[in-house]
Amino acid sequence: MIRRQIHKIPGCIHGIPRAPPDKILGLTEQFNKDKNPKKTNLTVGIYKDNWGQVTTFQSVARAQMILDQSIELNTDLSYLPIKGCPDFQLNVLKFLYRESCPEGAESLDQGRISFVQTLSGTGALAVTSKFLSLFMSRSVWIPKPSWPNHANVFQNNGFDDILYYSYYKNGTLDVDGWLDDLERGAKSRDGPPQCIVLHACCHNPTGIDPSREQWRRILDKIHELNIIPIIDMAYQGLDTGDLYKDAYLLRMSLDKKRYNWNNGLFLCQSFAKNMGLYGERVGSLSVVTPVRHNSKEIKRNVDSQLKKIVRGMYSSPPGYGSRVANVVLSTPHLRDLWHKDVKNVANRLHSVKAKMAERLEWDSLKDQSRQHGMFLYTGLDMRSVETLREKYSIYLVQDGRLSLSGLNDSNVDYVCDALQSVHRE
Amino acid sequence: MSRTLFNDIDLLPPDSLFNIKQRLSQDSRPVKVDLGIGAYRDDNGKPWVLPSVREAEKVIQKDPSYNHEYLGIGGLTSLTQGAAKVLLGDDNKALKEKRVVSVQSLSGTGALHMAARFFTKFCGDKLVYLSDPTWANHNAIFETMGLKTATYPYWDPATKSLNLKGYLSAIESAPKGSIFVLHACAHNPTGLDPNQEQWASILDAIIKKDHIVLFDSAYQGFASGDLDRDAFAVRLGLEKLAEVSPIFICQSFAKNVGMYGERAGCFHIVLPRQDQSVSIENVKDAINSQLAKITRSELSNPPAYGAKIVSTVLNDEQLTEQWHKDMVTMSSRIIKMRHQLRDNLVKLHTPGNWDHIVGQTGMFSYTGLSPEMVKRLEKEHAVYLVGSGRASIAGLNSGNVEYVAKAINEVVNHFSNSKL
Repeated sequence: MIRRQIHKIPGCIHGIPRAPPDKILGLTEQFNKDKNPKKTNLTVGIYKDNWGQVTTFQSVARAQMILDQSIELNTDLSYLPIKGCPDFQLNVLKFLYRESCPEGAESLDQGRISFVQTLSGTGALAVTSKFLSLFMSRSVWIPKPSWPNHANVFQNNGFDDILYYSYYKNGTLDVDGWLDDLERGAKSRDGPPQCIVLHACCHNPTGIDPSREQWRRILDKIHELNIIPIIDMAYQGLDTGDLYKDAYLLRMSLDKKRYNWNNGLFLCQSFAKNMGLYGERVGSLSVVTPVRHNSKEIKRNVDSQLKKIVRGMYSSPPGYGSRVANVVLSTPHLRDLWHKDVKNVANRLHSVKAKMAERLEWDSLKDQSRQHGMFLYTGLDMRSVETLREKYSIYLVQDGRLSLSGLNDSNVDYVCDALQSVHRE
Repeated sequence: MSRTLFNDIDLLPPDSLFNIKQRLSQDSRPVKVDLGIGAYRDDNGKPWVLPSVREAEKVIQKDPSYNHEYLGIGGLTSLTQGAAKVLLGDDNKALKEKRVVSVQSLSGTGALHMAARFFTKFCGDKLVYLSDPTWANHNAIFETMGLKTATYPYWDPATKSLNLKGYLSAIESAPKGSIFVLHACAHNPTGLDPNQEQWASILDAIIKKDHIVLFDSAYQGFASGDLDRDAFAVRLGLEKLAEVSPIFICQSFAKNVGMYGERAGCFHIVLPRQDQSVSIENVKDAINSQLAKITRSELSNPPAYGAKIVSTVLNDEQLTEQWHKDMVTMSSRIIKMRHQLRDNLVKLHTPGNWDHIVGQTGMFSYTGLSPEMVKRLEKEHAVYLVGSGRASIAGLNSGNVEYVAKAINEVVNHFSNSKL
C-alpha cells in the first residue's frame, strides 16, 4: 500500500487543540511532582484529618463491613436500574424531604418529586443541564465567583448562555449587585425562563453565605422573575456540623405559603463530602414539580425523559457507593454515628479556622460566623498564589481558595508564616 | 395558575427489556424462564460473582491504604494500562510505540458516549454506520449527541448467516470518511460474528474508503473463554490501520468480569504511526485534555470501586489466572446450553434448521423466531424473550433447557400448522 501523508488523515484528529487543564485537579498533578519536603496541598476539597490523612468515616467503614459480610447484599453485582438503586432512592428521599426538609414531605406524598441517582453532584448538574436545555431553558445564572466547573458543565450540556451574577465584593456578600443583575438580565429579554445556580451552604470558593434575611430577598426576586432554581447542595452538614440545619435553603425554597415554582425546583445533592465517598460518585438529582391537576402525568413524563438522558450517557449508575450510603442511611445506629462523624469534621474545620485567626490578623478570619465550610477565600491575587507555590510549595487554587482541611498541627505554622509574608508584599 | 413548561414534556415509551422484567415479576405461573436478561446466570439461574472478583475484593479490603479519595479525571492508571494490554495484547506494537490514549469510562455505554461526544466536537459532519440489527442503545447514544446514523446490512434472515455482500457494498457506497461501529466479538443481538477471512475483507474495504473504525468490545473473553481469540478483529484492525488512521475502542468489563453494575470500562484511541513532522506526544496530550474536559463536565471523575477491583484482577498474576478460568467457566456453560437447546430441538423434530444456535457466540442467540412466536412463548409457556427473537442463552440451565425446547417446538409447530 502506498504510504500516505499520515498526519493529515483524518484531519479531525490532528487539528485538535489542547484544552486548558482543569483549574483545580491540574494543580494536584503539579503538586505530586514537587520535591520540596514541606509541600502542602491546599487545593482539592477533600477532608483530611489532623494527621493529614484521608480517612474513611467510621459510619462508612462499618457499613462497608456489613456489606462485606452480608451474602445477600453482596452476591448480586447486576446492573442497577437506569434511575439507580430503589432502596437508595427511598432512603435519600426520606433523608432529604422528610428529615432535612419537612417542607418537602407534601411534595413527596403527592408524588411530585422525580428522582435519579447520579454520579455525585457533577453528575446531577450534568443531567439537570441536559434536561433543562432540552425542554425549558438554555440560559443560566452562576455566581461570580463560583466552582470553576459550573460553567463547564452547563456549557457542555446544551446551555448557550452563561450569565454571572455579582456575589462577592471587598470581602463581603454583594446582595444588591446580585439582585440588580437578575433584574436587569430579566428585563432585557423575553422567551423561555432563565435558571440560576444557588449554593445551598458553604459557598465554593468564598465560604460566604447569605443570611436568612438575605436569602428571603433573593428567593423572592427569583420567584418574581420566574427563574428556575437549581440548588447545588454539596456541603450539607459541613457548615454547622448539623446535617438537617444546613438544609435551610431547601426548606426556605419549599415554603409553599410563599413560593410555587411553576417550572420546578432542581436539587443537585452529593454525598462526596458529607459521607466522604468522593471517588465512589454518590449523589442525586431530584426535581420538585409544581402542584397541578396532572401532577402524576408530569412526573411520569419527566421520569421517562431523565431515564433517556441517563441511558444515552452511561446506562446506569455505579452500585458500590450507593450500597454503602444506603446502609448508612437505613441502619439507625450507623445513621446516628454518621451525624457524629459529620459533626467531628465540622468541628475540626472550625478549630483550624480558629488557629489561623490566632496567627493571622485577617479581617476575614476575625468573625468566625462569616466563613462557612471547607474553604477560606484568602483574597490573595494570582501573583501571591504563584509566590506561595513557587517559593513555599504551598498550593492554593488560582483564585485564592484555600482548602482548610489540608492544614493540621504539623503544618499550620509553616503555612500561616508563608501566608503572612505574601500578604504583606 | 400560571403556565408550566412541564406540560410540554412528552412521555417516552419504557425500555422494552425493562418491560419484560416487569411482566415476569407479575407472572404467577410456577415455571418461568427469563431469556431477556443481558447478564450471566449460573446453572441454578442465579447471578454469579466471579471467584477472581471475590478474591480481589478481599485484597482491597485488607489494604490499609484503601480509601474513597477521588480518582484522577482520566481514571485509575493501573486500570487503563492493564485494560489496554488485555485488549491489544501484551506485546502489541501500538503500545510499544506509545500510540495509545486510554481513559476510564462508565463501562461500554460511557465509552461510546465519550466517542460520540468526541466525534460531535471534532468531526460532527460524519455519518455513523451501525449494523442492522444492533444493540438497541447504539442509535440513541449517537443520535442524542446530534450525530446522524445509518445502517449497514449484517444479518441475513433467510440463511441466518452474515450478509457479507450487503455489508461490503454498504462500506463501498458510504460517504468517504464515515464512522463504522463494529462489534469486536459476540455481536449483539445476533451472536453472529464474521470469520477471520471476512474480517479481513471488511477492514480492507473500510481502509479503501478512508472510513473511521470504532470497535465496541463488550464481550472479550466471555464469548470463547479466550481473551486473545475474542480480540482477533480488534488486533487485525490495529495491524491493518497502523499506517492509516486512528482507531477508537470502547471496552467494557461488565460481562467478562461480571461487575455489571460497577460501570468499569475504558475508552481507547489508538493513533496511526506518524511521520517525523508530527509529535505524537503533542497529539496525545491534546486528545487527553479534550477527553478530560468531557469527563469533567459530566461526572468530574469516574467511580473508584469497580475500577480498583478490575485493576487488582488485571495486575495480580494469580488473580489474572483465576479470572481466565472464570471466563472459561462462563463461556463453556453457555456453549453447552447452546448445544443442549439445539439437540433438544432436533430430537423433537422441530421444523427448521437450528444449527445457527450453536454457530453463534456470546450471551445471545438470534433464534429466528417471529414476533408472534415470541408472544406465544410468553403467553402459553412463560418463556420471555425480546420481540426480535433474541434469546439470552445465559438464562438457560440444565433445569429448564428441555422445557424451553419443548415450548419452542410447540409454538413453531403451532404457526407452521396454521399455515397449512
